[in-house]
Amino acid sequence: MTEAGLAGRPVPRPRRVVTGGNTTGRMTALTLFTPIRAPWVRLLRAAFRVAPHLPIRTHIIQFNFIKFVRWTVVDSLDDEQLRYSYLFFESNFDGPWQHYIDAFAYVIPRDIRAVWGRGIDFPYPPPAEPLKAWIARNSLEGGTYYCAHEELSTRQIQSAIAVSEAFHVFEAEAATMSADQFAAAWEQFLSDQQAHL
Amino acid sequence: MSNRTGTAYALTTFARVQRHREDELEDYLAALPRGSASPLARIGVLHLSRLHLVRELVFQGPNQRHRDLLRHGHLVFTATFNGEPGDFLENLRTSVPECDEWWGRCVGYPGRDDRGAFAAWVRSLQVDTSLFQSPIPTTTVEEVREVTALRERVIDFAVAAQGLDAASLQARFRESF
Repeated sequence: MTEAGLAGRPVPRPRRVVTGGNTTGRMTALTLFTPIRAPWVRLLRAAFRVAPHLPIRTHIIQFNFIKFVRWTVVDSLDDEQLRYSYLFFESNFDGPWQHYIDAFAYVIPRDIRAVWGRGIDFPYPPPAEPLKAWIARNSLEGGTYYCAHEELSTRQIQSAIAVSEAFHVFEAEAATMSADQFAAAWEQFLSDQQAHL
Repeated sequence: MSNRTGTAYALTTFARVQRHREDELEDYLAALPRGSASPLARIGVLHLSRLHLVRELVFQGPNQRHRDLLRHGHLVFTATFNGEPGDFLENLRTSVPECDEWWGRCVGYPGRDDRGAFAAWVRSLQVDTSLFQSPIPTTTVEEVREVTALRERVIDFAVAAQGLDAASLQARFRESF
């Protein structure tokens, strides 16, 4: 933030350093707010518009360490004269985000480059280390963070959903089974759901 | 715009902080209780929320031709919930008086007395989400709790029922579920 200078123009003032604020339980929030080069703003906005209808939509949510992720193009802020539009990105991770950036850098590098490569001096991955340094430099810290299921990973939630769905089917079918049939079906249920239990 | 995926909604707002109140707001947010003691835990449909200040924009280096210097701090409030934004905001207004502390330090906040004014003001701060994705887009917080509790019960039952004969297993199952 700035103080108004002699001509009313903002001038930088020393940064107040805040850290943390983006963790709760096992969850870590990652928020980035980075400039977009002007010629790319419209294209990026259009790409976001069509992405939900393309196979690419599943790329980032294939990672079972993210619960929700959002990108927002911000063109203006109240009473500010911005020279750039900005890309606001917010995601969440099961633990420190540093543990997961390798997956982004090596599994979906094209997606990452297509989105943040519209910015300035983005370190096109792979490798992952320059990307991690870039994220650390741009990560917004401070504030407070809430997650209703902060001790559950995305994978645990997905497993619980799978078990629940299978259990309700099993329970309905088991109602009319003999004891021997039930025992066999229970064994089969446990075998089928082993990966989720 | 894409504020919604499945039944989940992404609310993103930026509020200009009153001059010289940035430090106290930052301190207030940092001191808020976390986890189940968070004021935001009172909203049952809320999956995730973050409140923090943007006080400067990171300069990207010599290839950035222009440097954007902020005149003000801006309070970012994001929320991810299932349902309609109007219902969420009404829930926020009535259940989270702490709103007065964080948005009360922002320009133009009308307070929580007037339902319509509160909702209209927050919606005026909203920036539409460009892309919103989730692997659990239709799962509510309540469902997360239900399915995880059921999974625990199934595991407990499986452990306790080991070695039972078929008739005992079936009888124990009927007692347990």
